[in-house]
Amino acid sequence: MSFKSALESGKFVVTAEVGPPKGTDIKKILHEAEALKGKVDALNVTDNQSAVMRISSVSFCKLLLEMGQEPILQMTCRDRNRIGLQSDLLGASILGIKNVLCMTGDHPNAGDHKEAKAVYDIESVQLLEIVDSLNNGKDMMGNELKGATDFYQGAVVTPESVPLEPQLIKFEKKVTAGAKFFQTQAIYDIERFKSFMGHARQFPVKILAGLVLLKSAGMANFMNKFVPGINVPQNLIDELKNAGKEKALDAGIDIMARHIRQLRDEKICDGVHIMAIGAEDKVPEIMERAGLL
Amino acid sequence: MIITKKKDFKEFLESIRDYKSFFLIGCSECASLCGTGGEPELAAMKEALEAEGKKVTGTMLPKTGCQTLGTKIELKKDKEACAAAEAIIVMSCGAGTQSAVEIFPDKPVFPSNDTLFLGNMTRFQMFDERCSLCGQCILDKTGGICPVTACPKGLLNGPCGGTNEGKCEVSPDIECAWVRIYNRMKKLNRLDDMKKPLRPKNWAASRKPATLIAREKEEVKK
Ligand code: SF4
Ligand code: SF4
Repeated sequence: MSFKSALESGKFVVTAEVGPPKGTDIKKILHEAEALKGKVDALNVTDNQSAVMRISSVSFCKLLLEMGQEPILQMTCRDRNRIGLQSDLLGASILGIKNVLCMTGDHPNAGDHKEAKAVYDIESVQLLEIVDSLNNGKDMMGNELKGATDFYQGAVVTPESVPLEPQLIKFEKKVTAGAKFFQTQAIYDIERFKSFMGHARQFPVKILAGLVLLKSAGMANFMNKFVPGINVPQNLIDELKNAGKEKALDAGIDIMARHIRQLRDEKICDGVHIMAIGAEDKVPEIMERAGLL
Repeated sequence: MIITKKKDFKEFLESIRDYKSFFLIGCSECASLCGTGGEPELAAMKEALEAEGKKVTGTMLPKTGCQTLGTKIELKKDKEACAAAEAIIVMSCGAGTQSAVEIFPDKPVFPSNDTLFLGNMTRFQMFDERCSLCGQCILDKTGGICPVTACPKGLLNGPCGGTNEGKCEVSPDIECAWVRIYNRMKKLNRLDDMKKPLRPKNWAASRKPATLIAREKEEVKK
């Protein structure tokens, strides 16, 4: 079943993420992707994540398709102007890529080409509008296309953003602009996430809770300090700490599996997006412990 | 005003190494306020050049260096000093420098400053950039705060995921433009405006080089 039909059928959907490497040696990532085959409903392919230059997202999506995996093309507005974005979207479409996640993208300042010109000719809300118009057979200027696209378009939202209201306003704009599904920034506090979902449920969109695998208490503290919109509660940090160095990753897997169970059993959202960040090989185990496999 | 910064003096000297005598032009407007091209800076430059064995044939502070015709007229009184110089040094912005390029078709002209941005002076010699001259102002829609300039990504529809307790992901020294806009719109009871999507900007409106004839065409013909 395709990612779109899975979500629309009401199945609790699981997506994971692969980051194309820097360089042409793709053995490792192909292996990771292979291990997830038949387990997750779709795989996000990041777009020069953290503004670090890597293999293009579109080309790696195509490889996933050839492997029989369903990709979600992450598309940021950092590196291409409106001509480049639309052209790449048309290109992705003829390669058979169906899902696109529209994002603004980290600033070049975060990456390994700090002197790059940041493009941001358009941004996430406008990119969603563009996808909608390509789906309707027109480019963003209203020019007729010879053959429309057929994308299932999504976006991101940060439920823990402080202050939250401007984020919610933008979320609503993304819905209006045509987003059909959302993958959230990492969440760790399910009660607080429930209150976000209370708001999000007013809109006819599917929400996948973003979950980042915690590998140690140090990692949790680091994210709390440096990653905007991520807030790991102290009790989880203690749980990791108490597990000891050896068992910390195991505790992290437990935490995520527990969260997935709760999100699914209480029907809090429509699925989860697992970000294992370098431990993609653990995704099947997480899913097993969550009772998804 | 136009914000300028002095070039590194060594690098600047390198740029003028082929010449020995100079006429210096400052500007009494922006460059004076920036401390890069007023009376004291002209005097200091003269002294520094002489210390390097260069000759300064004269200095002049035009009223508005980017006003090409006015500056040309003002320079008439310095005709001889200008003629005696091998090259001209302009201590204002890139526009002032190019006034001199037009006024002195036969002489090399060198800038002593780097031109940075259109800025607001917040305190004495403290400047920040609030408008980046996009050619189609949207301040009416963003609570009077310009996201094209104040947000490093120039986002038009709200904060990115990197917004962090009012700070920007790009640097903790930057206030997130969209949190500022949100706070102001909320205070003014205009949050509904923030909910309206803004279309992509028309960058053709700031295509370079721009020209404008602000007066009646008839008048120009005369
Ligand atoms: S919208 Fe354009 S003209 Fe208006 S302040 Fe911003 S950059 Fe300047
Ligand atoms: S944090 Fe705010 S100011 Fe910084 S890039 Fe994001 S939206 Fe713009």
